[in-house]
Amino acid sequence: MQHAQPSSSHSGGGPIRQPNRHEDLEFPYCPDSNKYEKLAKIGQGTFGEVFKARDRKTKQVVAMKKVLMENEKEGFPITALREIKILQLLKNENVVNLIEICRTKATPYNRFKSTFYLIFEFCEHDLAGLLSNVNVKFSLGEIKKVMQQLLNGLYYIHTNNILHRDMKAANILITKAGVLKMADFGLARALSHITKYTNRVVTLWYRPPELLLGERNYGSPIDIWGAGCIMAEMWTRSPIMQGKTEQHQLTLISQLCGSIKPEVWPGCDKLELYSKLEIPDGHKRKVKERLKPYVKDQYALDLLDKLLCLDPSRRIDSDTALNHDFFWEDPAPQDLSRMLSQHSTSMFEFLAPPRRLNNYRPAMPPQAKHQPNMDQHFERVF
Amino acid sequence: MNENEAVVHFRVIRFVYEAGLKLRMKTIPIASACVLYHRFFRENKLDSYDPYLIAATCLYLGAKTEEEQHVNIRDVVNVTYRTLNRDKPALEMGTTFQQYRETIVNCELFLLRSLQFKSVVYHPHKFLLHYLKYLEDWFDPFTWKSVPISRTCWALLRDSYHSPLALRYKPQHIAIAVIYMSLLCHGVEVPSNRVSDSTWWKVFKEDITLNEIKDIINEIVYTYDMETALQT
Repeated sequence: MQHAQPSSSHSGGGPIRQPNRHEDLEFPYCPDSNKYEKLAKIGQGTFGEVFKARDRKTKQVVAMKKVLMENEKEGFPITALREIKILQLLKNENVVNLIEICRTKATPYNRFKSTFYLIFEFCEHDLAGLLSNVNVKFSLGEIKKVMQQLLNGLYYIHTNNILHRDMKAANILITKAGVLKMADFGLARALSHITKYTNRVVTLWYRPPELLLGERNYGSPIDIWGAGCIMAEMWTRSPIMQGKTEQHQLTLISQLCGSIKPEVWPGCDKLELYSKLEIPDGHKRKVKERLKPYVKDQYALDLLDKLLCLDPSRRIDSDTALNHDFFWEDPAPQDLSRMLSQHSTSMFEFLAPPRRLNNYRPAMPPQAKHQPNMDQHFERVF
Repeated sequence: MNENEAVVHFRVIRFVYEAGLKLRMKTIPIASACVLYHRFFRENKLDSYDPYLIAATCLYLGAKTEEEQHVNIRDVVNVTYRTLNRDKPALEMGTTFQQYRETIVNCELFLLRSLQFKSVVYHPHKFLLHYLKYLEDWFDPFTWKSVPISRTCWALLRDSYHSPLALRYKPQHIAIAVIYMSLLCHGVEVPSNRVSDSTWWKVFKEDITLNEIKDIINEIVYTYDMETALQT
């Protein structure tokens, strides 16, 4: 056989007769990241760094998300591959748009290892950043618009059999025109016939009870729970259940949604961790009651109650939620562009002062805690 | 594509199937690896790259994108090496192993860039399954049981990946052509096909023509000719 074995003489499968010219290869579909000029760092998390950047030629402003190449022995990370696959599939007004994928040139300085960047359309704000700014005030109509777009995005991804698996305010982006975009599909997965997913997903504060109890065969209701937490946050302005541990989170959920027991959630006692965790007993469901001081609207309270339903099989789905009276009674959902036009700075959670003082912040890296100067927390949009 | 290249690709795909089965990969991940391989060589010249390296990398990438989680890089290196070097002893942990692994990892990045990061593949399998379910209801149970129509379909579909068929035809169309060919092989006709207003294939997919079905079949037949040529 002519091609008897994988040749190791030419790294990266480049042309056989040019073993050392790998770095000079042109990739028409994978431009050099140098075509963008980095402007500022706008995010940092377990997923890596996010920068605001500008196309040097077209001047288009974009967000660049670095692909962390943690386990380089295993090649391109499967999580990034999933995210790319999913983003290429999802094209919707309320889902962030992936423009392209870039890489840095392999040079001796980076040991011939390229860094890859996902290039997204730029959105000026994220919801966590907006909510942490007391000067940003949402009217009831504007809250309806946010929730309508969020549920619309969820409806779209769920009908495409995708689970987001990391719903939280910081992953909800909003453009200055007031269009909501769901972002960060780094934990997202396609639903398939496989029924054993990892239950170690979703930021703790937004994690639904079924995941806390060890369910591995979950579905779209896990994202709906997150939507419920985010909806309540539109009024409370900070996450409603800030657990320190999984046990603590479960306790907080029980205090709000009532004790978890088979009478309200048939089959919950069959879940793996039901017998291993302490299940607080004797709590009544107080969703409406506890949120009433913040949320005056009856329809809003009713929808919240349905989104934050303990039993995932009876939790409202996005389609039904979009038909809820909340969206169809006065005041009608109202465009956010006018309200946002009063703010000329970008608001991102990463750039914002901590929303809850003395509070445990699991998603935040240490360096974000001591931001130097309060005035520089927000970066100019225009 | 000239004839010699088609023969090389045929051989390499046979290698993909052999190694893929040894890796206990399921049908769809192996099929995806084949499509990734064909996609790569649609854009790139065969004489510039080692097709077996590309194939091994496609297997690894196919396993990743299709969530075949038990396949790891170590197994891919060992299995592909053994498949290509039957007379040599198995690869020991060491420099050579590490070189092979590194080569595949680098090649994966290269492959992803060449493919524009488009690693999603749509296969005819689910369509074939549905079409066969319908056909089963149209046939009388005795004929359906005595003639292995569906088994032939699945075999034909699997073999069709030896050529870049999947790049040029819609998955639905390939599924229909495979059924047509299977019925032809077994000399059976879909009941009432001659007297009905619409042919059975038009019922499954409006936009397919008999000519297209015949084109696909010709291409599959050509693959089998190649196999015969290789054996003689």
